[in-house]
Amino acid sequence: MILRNSAIGIAMLAATSVQAADFKWASTTDPQTMDPHAVNSAPVLGFLNNVYEGLVRRDKDMSVQPALAVSWEPIGEGDGWRFKLREGVTFHDGSTFDAQDVLFSYQRASGEAADTRSWFAPVSEVIVVDDYTVDVMTTAPNPLFPSSIANWMIMDQGWTEANDAIVPDKETGNYATINANGTGAFKVTEREPGLKTVLVPHEGWWGDVEHNITRAEFNPIQNPATAVAALLSGDVDMINPVPIQDVARLQEDSDVEVIKGIEARVIMLGFDHEAETLKYTDDEGKPNPFRDPRVRKAVAQAVNVDAILATIMRGNAEAASQLVSPAMSGYSAAHAERPAFDVEGAKALLAEAGYADGFSFGLKCPNDRYLNDEAVCQAVVSMLAQIGITADLEAMPVRNYWPELREDNYDMYLLGWSPGTFDAEHPVRFLVATPNEEKKLGSWNFGGFSNARVDELLPAIQAELDETKRQAMLDEVAKIIQDEQVYVPMYVQPLVWGTRSNVELTQRPDNFFLLRWVTVN
Amino acid sequence: MFAYIVRRMLQSVIVLLVVGLVAFSMFRFVGDPIDNMLGQERTQADIDRLRAELGLDQPFPVQYYKFLKNAVQGNFGVSYRQGRPVSTIIAERAPATLELAFVSGFLAITMGIALGVFTAIRRQGIAANLIMTVSLIGVSLPTFLIGILLIYIFSVELDLLPSFGRGETVMIGNWSTGFLTASGLKALILPAITLGLYQMTLIMRLVRSEMLEVLRADYVRFARARGLSDRVINFRHALKNTMVPVITITGLQLGSIIAFAIITETVFQWPGVGLLFINAIQFVDIPVMAAYLMLISVMFVSINLIVDLLYYAIDPRLRVDARAT
Repeated sequence: MILRNSAIGIAMLAATSVQAADFKWASTTDPQTMDPHAVNSAPVLGFLNNVYEGLVRRDKDMSVQPALAVSWEPIGEGDGWRFKLREGVTFHDGSTFDAQDVLFSYQRASGEAADTRSWFAPVSEVIVVDDYTVDVMTTAPNPLFPSSIANWMIMDQGWTEANDAIVPDKETGNYATINANGTGAFKVTEREPGLKTVLVPHEGWWGDVEHNITRAEFNPIQNPATAVAALLSGDVDMINPVPIQDVARLQEDSDVEVIKGIEARVIMLGFDHEAETLKYTDDEGKPNPFRDPRVRKAVAQAVNVDAILATIMRGNAEAASQLVSPAMSGYSAAHAERPAFDVEGAKALLAEAGYADGFSFGLKCPNDRYLNDEAVCQAVVSMLAQIGITADLEAMPVRNYWPELREDNYDMYLLGWSPGTFDAEHPVRFLVATPNEEKKLGSWNFGGFSNARVDELLPAIQAELDETKRQAMLDEVAKIIQDEQVYVPMYVQPLVWGTRSNVELTQRPDNFFLLRWVTVN
Repeated sequence: MFAYIVRRMLQSVIVLLVVGLVAFSMFRFVGDPIDNMLGQERTQADIDRLRAELGLDQPFPVQYYKFLKNAVQGNFGVSYRQGRPVSTIIAERAPATLELAFVSGFLAITMGIALGVFTAIRRQGIAANLIMTVSLIGVSLPTFLIGILLIYIFSVELDLLPSFGRGETVMIGNWSTGFLTASGLKALILPAITLGLYQMTLIMRLVRSEMLEVLRADYVRFARARGLSDRVINFRHALKNTMVPVITITGLQLGSIIAFAIITETVFQWPGVGLLFINAIQFVDIPVMAAYLMLISVMFVSINLIVDLLYYAIDPRLRVDARAT
């Protein structure tokens, strides 16, 4: 008996000693900089969330939780927010975190050269109250401010100044482009841009350690087939993404596992709402049919989203009814119904609008931006052909795509949108509000859709502190968008990661991969 | 002689300038780097500001002129993607490509000559026929497929070799070498075979057909009549005489091994200049693309120049012509 107990004791000892683990992962894009304020893009912010921290952070289910701030409360009647900072936090280089660092990071991240400055558009001033209290004053009541700054990462003032990196510089780069000094759970020890980045746990991290990683190495692998091979052969422990066509094959392999989830990104069709005439048509000078909501509705009814999901997405995605997925705050549950697939109904709508004989137009599509984007567009073309409208599809790499959309060279286009704030207000601000350069509204509303009621509701939504009232307004906007069929939302893009079967991790809907939730068994 | 060299040099410079001009006129079609550099929440004002800062609002001849002006001073600009000087990045990446090119070139030459001689001598043998058939695969399959195939066999199924990357490297001065570590050497095997396979089959087939021709020549027949051993005939007399065209072709192929390493490097995530170039295209990193294209054309132009000069040294007729005009 005693003998057996000691055997168990040894086994347990052995189990704890295997705990320490070397972890390697690969993704298609290398974060282009280590500077958290220089580039506002998912690969950079996702990676740096391991290294830097904000006042708040997002949990596994995207809810907001305290990070460098322990608590926050509104000041007065929506004048701003007071953040109580965490004490005893140290940066990777050992220096202490305090309110001055927050003020410094605000100035740095909201400056002219920072790509993150749009986050601070509602902020009028940041005031240091004492060493561990900071007031962020806003120009108007801003109930969502704390949850909108989860990616605003705090840098150490001393380190940044000493290394001459006070201003983020993405054009020519500076010390902070290659080096990092955050408060996060991991610190960067080696950085070879485009090749590899090595991270080790930050010994003095304030949080509870849930991972068992002793060293983590990131390698960008551009070629999807190579990445899959690297995972299968065990050269890496995790890849993101797994190509959709390889999912079934990887699922059969017992050494690897496929983790599927739903990303925040909604894939939709957009229209030109402004142009008088079609630009890519056989009959020149014909008026633009897409200005008629009945035609846009007909398109929505003609696209068989279920078929696209079953064949092209191989059952890995979910249909969408709105510009945001149900997982986002402010999603309108009252408008969860999407137009049913109905070829006859669509034809009837077209006839009613005066296009019984159909028409031809141009559809623009990226071919390397979203999962299987070109294949989806091809499917849409053939589905629209069934109601008698002929799309001339032009697919191109994303680096040519955005300039083309900005030049208004399309009649219809494909767009994916991931709300940065995880709230339904975000797509309204960028995709539906009337474009206004000065107020920074509608900057991705390529089609130039304009609705006075939406423009009126948007500032009210942004300033409303009462949840119910806010939701009522968001519901109204959702209804307008659906009634007008401003866009045709099709599906929420899937998130597909592959891991070795001995790895446990958490997949967050924003496609951020956090090392602090990784366990290697 | 001097006039000839000067003339050839001038021609080379003109070729380089034209390559650069064509490259810069094409960059517009590669896409717009701005969207990659700014985030989702950018405004039109941000776009305009950055475009003006990078000089992208100017017509391409102006951009080209600026590039040239800096390039002659050794300044190739700063990468849009990495925010570091392009010359530093290329210097970091060049050893990987050069080592890979060296190993696959060496492999192609030694294996190509050995197999070529073997298949020529044992023309009717089963092994020779088998090699000839297999070599057809080497010429006809695209590099991309061969690479993926090798990865699946040797790293996924057999788990012998790494599937990507360069393994551990050691720095000697500014040169990172993979020759000195076990993992570095192991990582070299598959990419080197993939890159060298086409050149190897090319050399092998060339050596074989030249050899077959030479073996039918009168002097070989006389050598046989003199009672010389097969070994002496095959290697001393026959092989030596097949070497002239082989050396010419090999010299010219050297450039293409480096230039075509792009595909092999992408498949194996080999951290060389080819992969850098592919990344640069995806990101529309104009300074990196421009520097790479200029570098490759400088390389090809200098190889051609050297070949021309060698001809001049070897072929007396060129000298006579030059004097006559």
